Amino acid sequence: MNELRELAARLLSEKSVDVVIGWEEGPRGARPVFVTRPEDAQKLVFDERCVHCLPAYLSPRRAQVKALGKPAVVVKACDARAVAGLIRENQLAREDVVVIGVRCGGVLANGAEAPLSAATLHPRCANCARREPGLYDHLVGETRPDPPKRELPDRVAALDALTPDERWAFWEGELARCTRCHACRQACPMCTCERCAADKTRPQWIESAPHGRGNLAWHLTRAMHQAGRCVGCGECERACPSGIPLGLLNRKVGSVVARRFGWRPSDDPSVPSPIGTFEKGDAQEFIR
Amino acid sequence: MKTVTRENLAALVKELVAKGTAVVAPAASRDGGVDYRDISTLDEARLGEQPRRSLKELFLPPQEPLFSWVKKGSDVTLSEVRTEFPPRVVLGAPPCDAAAVETLDKVMGWDYRDELWFGRRAATTIVALACTAPRGGCFCEEVGLAPDSPRGADLLLRAHDGGYAVEVVTKKGEALVTAHAALFAETPGEAPVRAPAPASDMPRVRAWLESHFVDGLWDEIGRRCHGCGACASVCPTCHCFDIVDEPEGVCHGTRRRHWDTCQTPRFTRHASGHNPRNDQGSRLRQRVMHKFAIYPARFGEVLCTGCGRCSRSCPAGTDLPEILHRIEGLA
Repeated sequence: MNELRELAARLLSEKSVDVVIGWEEGPRGARPVFVTRPEDAQKLVFDERCVHCLPAYLSPRRAQVKALGKPAVVVKACDARAVAGLIRENQLAREDVVVIGVRCGGVLANGAEAPLSAATLHPRCANCARREPGLYDHLVGETRPDPPKRELPDRVAALDALTPDERWAFWEGELARCTRCHACRQACPMCTCERCAADKTRPQWIESAPHGRGNLAWHLTRAMHQAGRCVGCGECERACPSGIPLGLLNRKVGSVVARRFGWRPSDDPSVPSPIGTFEKGDAQEFIR
Repeated sequence: MKTVTRENLAALVKELVAKGTAVVAPAASRDGGVDYRDISTLDEARLGEQPRRSLKELFLPPQEPLFSWVKKGSDVTLSEVRTEFPPRVVLGAPPCDAAAVETLDKVMGWDYRDELWFGRRAATTIVALACTAPRGGCFCEEVGLAPDSPRGADLLLRAHDGGYAVEVVTKKGEALVTAHAALFAETPGEAPVRAPAPASDMPRVRAWLESHFVDGLWDEIGRRCHGCGACASVCPTCHCFDIVDEPEGVCHGTRRRHWDTCQTPRFTRHASGHNPRNDQGSRLRQRVMHKFAIYPARFGEVLCTGCGRCSRSCPAGTDLPEILHRIEGLA
């Protein structure tokens, strides 16, 4: 922790950056913080409660964060994929951010309390082999053990095994709880559109009311817009106040992109985006 | 003191359901989360738990039609929606949720009388259940309520001796007891009432807010906020809605209202493109202002019952009690 605080204080005092985006101790656990003065670097913490994907604050949508000046952002291995995603899509220039990688041994599941165990581990960490990010300018923290082993049912495969009617019934039931607050979009580091299709009214592409039609149109559109872009941070699912398993949609779409285009979320910004590139070998038998 | 045993409460649910009265209670949804749901037996209810979304959705659903239209040539036919509803009993609402509904009656009956809101209000009897222990993030006493406040409830149950002590709060509550009189008993002794909390400092918060429309606090808390509106979704008192016309074909369609929130840029974006609340700080300020300055100025009470859902659901760790304490410190 001291290494992180000292680095942040140094970056701020030598004016390499204007703000360090990290975690602090909040009234209800660890939460994002924006440290702008070297003396406030003491606030920074990092432990298994730091589940948030902080690169969401680097999105061009976040004018208030941008106004603070050049950022340094603290990232876990998984979060670095969001930084890479923003760079890959020209939403962020590599030289405009200082990436502070922290070594991580897994974070807590939504609503779970420390200590980290097989029962409290975040599902996305269950098979994570990355203790440190591949994209960073500074790497801090002690070496962490691998996350506890946790056997998880493959929920996407379980859904694939259903009949279309059963699958429809599953999603109809889940999406019925949606109130269209759009928390999923707002917390997403890759939802960078200045103006979302769901907010457009001339024409109204997506009905704004949270009925079956509107909810289906919204969640399908979002899943498709995340195809080959979703970095799997799970913030949409964590932000959803109605507990809708949105990650299942993104994982399903992601698995199709992986199979068709050999693409997986990467923390290497030079890995081309499947939606932004064309290879002669790309599957195209569906174009007739 | 009037009491009801757990067995008789189960019998009450059974009798109500048998005669066709819907009983709504905190109950588990398929994913394990607790929501307000129709139950057919008391065993399905998760009494004492706070549903993840609030009671308001029983009176102001996330979306509902207002009327539909059919156009034939130059003739337009409008079909109204019904504003009378079948009887319904809510069982086990936490006091923060019951109080919120009464708070909202003021705005729903203010510049026009919201027929759909009051139609559902008239049809619904609320049996609240006093909380025995605070949940993390609850702050009802700080906004002038209590874990066993009867406000907004028709009947208030307090856990007592394996069953419940029953406080009859309204005539509607009395009617429910009278209609099922055999299930309730008179037991000697006084109902267990909690000592009232010290008076809240809400007037000081309001005074500070009224003179600090521009303040560094808003910018600071706005940075962290994703503007996701989860807080408003789960809030028992956030009641803003949008009204949209949904064409369902060339000549027919539905006018509908659905929840909206001041936390999104779209809420205030003008047709010109100008947005008077163009950053998240100003939008978060609006949420705090509406609850602790604007609503008190108009209706004499804060628009918050301290349920703590906003803090618990915030993906970025924004904490309303913390903001209020900071304002108290600044005032």
